[in-house]
Amino acid sequence: MTHARLRLRSRLALRVQRLLSHLGLVVTGPVLLALFHFRFRFSAHDLARVRARYRALRAAYPGPLLICSNHLTLVDSIIQAILLDSLWSYLRHPAALPWNLPEAKNYYHSLSWRLTCYLGRSIPVERGASRERAALAQAQMRHVLGQGDAIAIFPEGKRSRDGRVDDRDFSYGVGQLLNQVPDAKVLCIYMRGMRFGGFADFPRAGERFYLQLEMLAPQSASLGLRRARDLSAQVVARIKEMEGEYFAARDSGRLALSDTA
Amino acid sequence: MTEAEITEKVIALVTPYVKNRKALSNITPDTTFLADLGINSARLVDIVLAFEDEFGIEVSDDAADSIATVGDAVALIGKLVP
Repeated sequence: MTHARLRLRSRLALRVQRLLSHLGLVVTGPVLLALFHFRFRFSAHDLARVRARYRALRAAYPGPLLICSNHLTLVDSIIQAILLDSLWSYLRHPAALPWNLPEAKNYYHSLSWRLTCYLGRSIPVERGASRERAALAQAQMRHVLGQGDAIAIFPEGKRSRDGRVDDRDFSYGVGQLLNQVPDAKVLCIYMRGMRFGGFADFPRAGERFYLQLEMLAPQSASLGLRRARDLSAQVVARIKEMEGEYFAARDSGRLALSDTA
Repeated sequence: MTEAEITEKVIALVTPYVKNRKALSNITPDTTFLADLGINSARLVDIVLAFEDEFGIEVSDDAADSIATVGDAVALIGKLVP
């Protein structure tokens, strides 16, 4: 199946947005880091290892990348970006900073959030959007992936209300994107607050984040929608396994807050 | 296969995914899967795949995207069914 190419105007708009978000990092980056460390006193477990691994993976797979993560809070994308790489590295390697796909209804209700999302390299998506709007958003995603950028996506299609990855009722958006950009690689991420964790609008102050990342090459012999479902299921299943590994490590004491303070 | 038979099977296949159970009692060809029946887009994909299995048809991505109402589904299946 072939997909319509994004119109020149839209391609230019994305290029301008990418440039402005990159330049804007000089201001937004330090502000976000200050909020992360000083206002909310967040921290991260084994941060140097996480960043070294992300850099190594990005170097090994420099092309289109889908960063697929579990989803617990409204600011997961921001926290994940802060954990994955340093501001200095993002400034030197613009492709390392992923695009985001926020639900328009949640984030585009005020000018300040619109600006934040714009500078945060976002492509807004709408649940139940018209065919035209959904097609435009998908064309934008294909375009940025085609440029070798990364997109951060939550394969469940929603936040995990019970605090655990929902491997029964999830979206097929990841699989549909992989159908459209077959050479895109998949990076699975499991991220969770170690002190408080769980579902929340915003993580509690003092939270310490755990983040694990692994490449995945989902496969399916099927085509079309069936393939999209197969690939999405494999991605969600892997993140679910990573969640299991996290809790097993916590329960066994191999991963303890006292080791990470 | 008649339109009535297709409609009956479509409703049976859709029923397990319906969140708005009240809307089930008065389904018409204009009933929408997303807004009226409360089915989310991922489950709509499951429903289209169930149509493929049940009726022995293949629904293209574009055709699947065009299914918004029960009537759309019945008309599409009517065209594709052998």
